[in-house]
Amino acid sequence: MLTKLAFTGVKSRLKDYVVLFFGLVISSAIFYMFEALATNQSFIKANAQVTGASFIFQFGAILLTIITLVYIFYANSFLMSMRRHDYGLFMMLGAKQSKIGQLILVETTVIGTIASVVGAIVGCGLTGSIGALLMQHMLGEKLHHFSAVYGPAVVATIGLYIGLFLVAGVINRLALTKTPVLQLLKGDSQPNRPTLKPVSQILQVVFGLSFLVVGYYAMSHIKQLNLAAIPIALVTIVLGTYFLFNAIFVWLVVLLKRTNWATRGLGNFTLSQLSFRIRNYTKILSIVSILFALALGAITVGIGFNRQIKTMATANSAYSAALVDPSTKTNHLINKLNLATKATYSQKETKSTVYYNAGEFGQHPFQATGLGETTVFDSAKKSKLGTPKYIKLTVNQLKQNTDKLSFLQSGSQRIKAVKVVSASQFESVKGQPHQLTLFRVKDLKASGKLMKQIVKSAGITSYDNLPGSYGLFVMGTALFGGLEFMGFFLGIAFLAMLASCLMFKILSGAASDQRRYEMLNKIGTRPQILRRSIMNEILVLFALPALVGVVHVLFGLQMFKVMMIDPYNQLWLPFTIFFVLYMIYYVITVLLYEHIVLPKLKIDK
Amino acid sequence: MTTAPIVSVRDLHKIYGKAGQKQYEALKGINFDVQPGEFVGIMGASGSGKTTLLNILATLDSPTSGDVEINQQSLTSLKGNQIADFRAKQVGFIFQDFNLLENLTNYENIALPLSLQNVARKKIQPEVMRVAKQLDIEAILEKYPTEISGGQKQRIAAARALVAHPAILFGDEPTGALDSNSARDLLEMLTSVNSEQQVPVLLVTHDPFSASYCQRILFIKDGKIGQELKRAGQTRQQFYQAILDALGTFD
Ligand SMILES: Nc1ncnc2c1ncn2[C@@H]1O[C@H](COP(=O)(O)OP(=O)(O)O)[C@@H](O)[C@H]1O
Ligand SMILES: [Mg+2]
Repeated sequence: MLTKLAFTGVKSRLKDYVVLFFGLVISSAIFYMFEALATNQSFIKANAQVTGASFIFQFGAILLTIITLVYIFYANSFLMSMRRHDYGLFMMLGAKQSKIGQLILVETTVIGTIASVVGAIVGCGLTGSIGALLMQHMLGEKLHHFSAVYGPAVVATIGLYIGLFLVAGVINRLALTKTPVLQLLKGDSQPNRPTLKPVSQILQVVFGLSFLVVGYYAMSHIKQLNLAAIPIALVTIVLGTYFLFNAIFVWLVVLLKRTNWATRGLGNFTLSQLSFRIRNYTKILSIVSILFALALGAITVGIGFNRQIKTMATANSAYSAALVDPSTKTNHLINKLNLATKATYSQKETKSTVYYNAGEFGQHPFQATGLGETTVFDSAKKSKLGTPKYIKLTVNQLKQNTDKLSFLQSGSQRIKAVKVVSASQFESVKGQPHQLTLFRVKDLKASGKLMKQIVKSAGITSYDNLPGSYGLFVMGTALFGGLEFMGFFLGIAFLAMLASCLMFKILSGAASDQRRYEMLNKIGTRPQILRRSIMNEILVLFALPALVGVVHVLFGLQMFKVMMIDPYNQLWLPFTIFFVLYMIYYVITVLLYEHIVLPKLKIDK
Repeated sequence: MTTAPIVSVRDLHKIYGKAGQKQYEALKGINFDVQPGEFVGIMGASGSGKTTLLNILATLDSPTSGDVEINQQSLTSLKGNQIADFRAKQVGFIFQDFNLLENLTNYENIALPLSLQNVARKKIQPEVMRVAKQLDIEAILEKYPTEISGGQKQRIAAARALVAHPAILFGDEPTGALDSNSARDLLEMLTSVNSEQQVPVLLVTHDPFSASYCQRILFIKDGKIGQELKRAGQTRQQFYQAILDALGTFD
């Protein structure tokens, strides 16, 4: 009987359950995809050369597990908020607590199990399609033992989800059977008088700021502090954020309530809604802002790494490639490129030395980057990640910097000394004559297709034997591409989960808000004013952690100064991607909330 | 009297349920008027259609057929925002379960209808204080609804209903959740508001005691008005007795 009742309860709120279920499936699918890729041996091996790659992967897996935990907690509280009233009613009708407890446990685990199994299946699909595609793109053709269905990952995903839901079920059961029936029926309606306690609030602000300063300091001094910087920063920033939210949120609401805006329309109501939940929300807002920072940071760094590969490669040499005695066919292909410069120099190769004709360098000066300067980049340009400064060397300069030339020698010439001699001396040298063709393309990435053909036609089998920036670029992409993928993927996964957490947290309150909006409607509030109030309220809840998260990221990028040329370059790109996705979650949340809360207008024909 | 009625209801029908599904006719042709300054009661057993009728009058629900005019404005002609605005400006409504927002202070609850009309902050305050003084709730304005008694809550609700100078005050069993002392207080307060400010009151109730405060009572049964009873100079005690007698014959 009770089971039947419970079932009808679920049926009447099917739409909300679909949302919950959908969120869970997405989350477990993402978790699976990550696990499958992160623990996939072929992927790990392909990236084995990258220092710290496996560390980053483990770090990512742990972070993802933590956020999944948080996510399930909020998804579950949403589930409970929908069922509170039903359970209260059952109890009032005389259902035994143990029976209710059993119901809760069954319901929670059934949802968790189905969601994780469906999620794992969806995850396999995602991994096989998007995951494989991305990896192929990042790593070239090295993906041999790749499979979408990866046993250990399936076990990990389903195991983690069912485990967490069992725990959640037990907690729900305890919480619900301990709550008085009346409170279950009424929901929490205790007002939360927003009061100003100046001393404690100033203290909290001071503490919060000091914690943040320590955290930011740790991140910007990662060179001195090494890996210790990360845990120090995490702890202090979490605490700092929490204190700041706690102190400033209340203060902000109280101040805003005194303004004229508050007495217009539903301004006061919106503020009261916010202050009503301050205590509930400071925690999740702090968590979300940290996760927001992690996610945005991951995407930013990921994209930054990828951009950096190209820049580093370009900066390394003034020439994209150096070919010895290219065939006419190869030459023909080279001329098809979008070239910035091209030059051919004569060589004479002896047992230990390669000779060059100084006269030729007089006519067509040799180009180099970063000659005797601390930075290879054009300091006149604002961005440090701009194009490098190419300097035309005089013959004398070249004679002093023969390493620039020897860097471009490959194969048998690689370890031989370089001598730039006068035309007459060059004539007299007895050695094998060669032609060295040097060229620079305007854009390494855009020239990729032709360059591949050139490499093939020149008979070069390993990029080790292709001096110049293009070879470095290809190898760098293989090496760091995984990192970009990782950063991007982690970032999106984090975003999806943190935004869902916030969404479920907000929606959990919707059930008890329903009455309030019904009342407002009864006293004659225009529907669009109700809607605006909802939009404002949720906007604040979304924007606050985002703002704080952005500040965290801006400071957090300091950490990557050790590894990257300019982590702050072109920040708008990852930020835009991130904000668009975040806004989508905002809109979905608003729509769902309105769906739950707004009274169905009876006169609306 | 030749003045136009405040409320005029003509041949009002209400059928619940969509066509083709299980239908129920809650109102089967209701006709009546409320004159300016009147205190009218509508009495009927539970399920007789009182709430349905009042919700239609307050534009919270729409009739299946028939016409309602309030303050010479036909409700069926209202569209979109006009409906909400009409509710905010023309009618004051007191509910059985108070309908106060527990996340606002009592003051803010009372001020809400004015805020919704974007009345300036400076003008809101004297209006709130005026009704607060009238209803003797000045001392509890800064408290929250959860911190006061049921009787006080209903006074706050009444203040909120009156603050925007409505054309008529509706009450749907406003004493239903109150103890007898608080109920008496509230009814006396409604009576004084009615007589001093000439605000017409339409009270819906199933309780003869509450009904005895009215000047005229319409009995509703199975969705129809069956009988009318006028106080016409009787004392409240006498009228109460008359209501009890009428109920005996009416049933
Ligand atoms: N939304 C509704 N859908 C279907 N039937 C309803 C609805 N609301 C009320 N009714 C029915 O209409 C009748 C009158 O209800 P109501 O106006 O609430 O009575 P009262 O307030 O006099 O107790 C009742 O029989 C009730 O079951
Ligand atoms: Mg009723």
